[in-house]
Amino acid sequence: MFMARSEYDRGINTFSPEGRLFQVEYSLEAIKLGSTAIGVATSEGVILGVEKRVTSTLLETSSVEKIVEIDRHIGCAMSGLQADARSMVEHARVESQSHAFNYAEPLRVESATQAICDLALRFGEGADGEETVMSRPFGVALLIAGYDEDGPQLYHAEPSGTFYRYDAKAIGSGSEGAQAELQNEYHKSLTIEDAETLVLKTLKQVMEEKLDSKNVQLASVTKGKGFRIYTDEEMAVVVERLPAN
Amino acid sequence: MAAMFSQNPVMNGPNYSFSDAPRTANGEFREHRFNPYSDNGGSTLAIAGADFTIVAGDTRSTSGYSINSRYTPKVFKIGGTTSSQDDATILLSVVGFAADGEALRDRLDAICKIYRYRHGKPMSVTACAKRLSTILYQKRFFPYYVHAILGGLDEEGKGAVFSYDPVGSYEREQCRAGGAAASLITPFLDNQVNFKNQYVPGSGTGHDLKEREVVPLVRRDAEILVKDAFDGAVERHIEVGDGLQMMTITKDGIEEVLLPLKRD
Amino acid sequence: MDSLVSRYSRPAYEENEVAFRDEEQQDLELMGAAPPLSLKFAMPPIAQPSSWLRAATDDRSNPDCPIKIAHGTTTLAFRFQGGIIVATDSRATAGNWIASQTVKKVIEINSVLLGTMAGGAADCQYWLAWLGMQCRLHELRHKRRISVAAASKILANLVYNYKGMGLSMGTMCAGVTKEEGPALYYVDSDGTRLAGNLFCVGSGQTFAYGVLDAEYRYDLSDEEAVELGRRSILAATHRDAYSGGFINLYHVKEAGWVKLGFEDTNPIFWKTKLEKGEFTNVTADLN
Repeated sequence: MFMARSEYDRGINTFSPEGRLFQVEYSLEAIKLGSTAIGVATSEGVILGVEKRVTSTLLETSSVEKIVEIDRHIGCAMSGLQADARSMVEHARVESQSHAFNYAEPLRVESATQAICDLALRFGEGADGEETVMSRPFGVALLIAGYDEDGPQLYHAEPSGTFYRYDAKAIGSGSEGAQAELQNEYHKSLTIEDAETLVLKTLKQVMEEKLDSKNVQLASVTKGKGFRIYTDEEMAVVVERLPAN
Repeated sequence: MAAMFSQNPVMNGPNYSFSDAPRTANGEFREHRFNPYSDNGGSTLAIAGADFTIVAGDTRSTSGYSINSRYTPKVFKIGGTTSSQDDATILLSVVGFAADGEALRDRLDAICKIYRYRHGKPMSVTACAKRLSTILYQKRFFPYYVHAILGGLDEEGKGAVFSYDPVGSYEREQCRAGGAAASLITPFLDNQVNFKNQYVPGSGTGHDLKEREVVPLVRRDAEILVKDAFDGAVERHIEVGDGLQMMTITKDGIEEVLLPLKRD
Repeated sequence: MDSLVSRYSRPAYEENEVAFRDEEQQDLELMGAAPPLSLKFAMPPIAQPSSWLRAATDDRSNPDCPIKIAHGTTTLAFRFQGGIIVATDSRATAGNWIASQTVKKVIEINSVLLGTMAGGAADCQYWLAWLGMQCRLHELRHKRRISVAAASKILANLVYNYKGMGLSMGTMCAGVTKEEGPALYYVDSDGTRLAGNLFCVGSGQTFAYGVLDAEYRYDLSDEEAVELGRRSILAATHRDAYSGGFINLYHVKEAGWVKLGFEDTNPIFWKTKLEKGEFTNVTADLN
């Protein structure tokens, strides 16, 4: 009474007769278990926001790191297996630095995203001479925010190695509700402040815990200041601004 | 066991005898000299203006005292989308060992084309300049025997000339001459492009002399200067002559002219 | 010797494959966004690449070498109460030929770290830019600025890996950090790494040391320190034929470095002579 998929989800590089790679599809499921992360792009810059899931009062919240810097002009938020994200971020950082070293210019945001996605399918046995990195697909999705000559941009990169550019995108456990909310609220003329509020307001709706300045984290990428993680004081100011309900 | 089969070519492979290899007087194996380079002579020159860049080179190719070709270009268009390079915006001149020069040109051009695919934009001349430096350094221990000069327009539309040593140290300059007649052309350029040792007439004597203010050349003057520089070099250097290939980059693209030089 | 034998005793098909693989490696590199950071350099297909390289590029051991790499320099840096002064000349020579009078021998590794360039220009430019990249990666990974000690150690370890291969660089890493204060390290291609208060490097180093040692104190004021740096380079450009051109001056402070100027030596020389009464052995009469 087994479904066909169980026969074909053991091998990591084996297509099912219907043409699916189950392990890759499962990895997408892993992300739906992750904490929610949201990105909103405006004409002034991009805002990233994540929920921190403070599981214990003894947990030091500053050690939960779900938004990281890739370079001065690129940052990313993650949802899913955080450890997997570390190797992707490391790869992106090296790629960005290597580009700056070889071309004396910053790496474009799309190229950085592409570099991360190039890594996504380097699992399994690998072709002759090709270096494999992992035994399984990544279990993490990234929201990559950056600023380059084409202005502010937001990309979503999946474990399947595909990426798309978004105006606003939510990933993780609360992504369905959050994406619907973003769909309703997003418009092209949002300011940075509007985006901060929109991200937190949306997170607030999908989070199980009550949102406060400790269990969420914001970061921005703007032309002037580049990538920047909000300090505790700045977080408090934005949380204060949220409409109470 | 080994000794048992040592006489058997089938089991042990053909019996190459190392004792037959050439040896030096003190019994060591003699390695033949490794001479991967030759010098094909010629000279190149680049001048950056306010809104243009000229890159020029003579077209003679020599080997020792023999002239092997009267038309072997030293200036190449880089980074166009087609093999005809009609839409190229960067010029590379190479002088020294022609084979290395062409290998370098092909490599840089391939990298420029791949860059365009990967990043969805043409490479800027400053990016290309840095990349050329790393390409040269990748062969730090087996250098390209070339003196490369790269020319183009920078992000502000100003003329840009970058000059390189064989292993990739580079510098942005107003003008640069390379190759066999560099030592003949450079002093002329110093005086005529950077106005070295030129003073404002009547500004005084001795320590009171005022240096002439440096202003960018207009295109026509720069082109005449290039021709004069090469005419002078041809007159005094055996490896320079035959033809002058001169390419000028402006915002409208690259214009190429071929002018005659003395053929003796 | 062994390597030579093994080279010729390898079956022919394998030899071709090796050559083929090298090419493949190059193509992979070409396809990639940028060459890998594994630092693979092309090598000449011979048993002793380093001795061949010396014959081909080292104009000291072989004056007729076909490839002349730019050399010759005076660079100095010293620590004092207000930070670090870094000063250099700007001349590059290939044999007797002055290849350039406008070389930037102070390399801006990043906004707070400076490196100086003596020896092979390409070696210094390439590896100090590479060091800048490593420093930035350190910053991203550890969320704090790298110390000058660590940065100079990365460079020293790197050049030590290439020891005997013919790299030529004598560099000083200067920076000011909160933990270290003003920190100055000398690193060269032999693998030497020294911390110190003052260093002069290059063919004109002895002349620069002469002036610097005579006047140097740790409690120099900012203005005195800058003037001492300038005067020491001036002395070297005056007596060392391989040094000259422009005097390049930097002041490193905790907030980062400040560029103070790129000044022609000639007017500075006459100013020093005529206004301060130094260099009295040179006649002021131009006729």
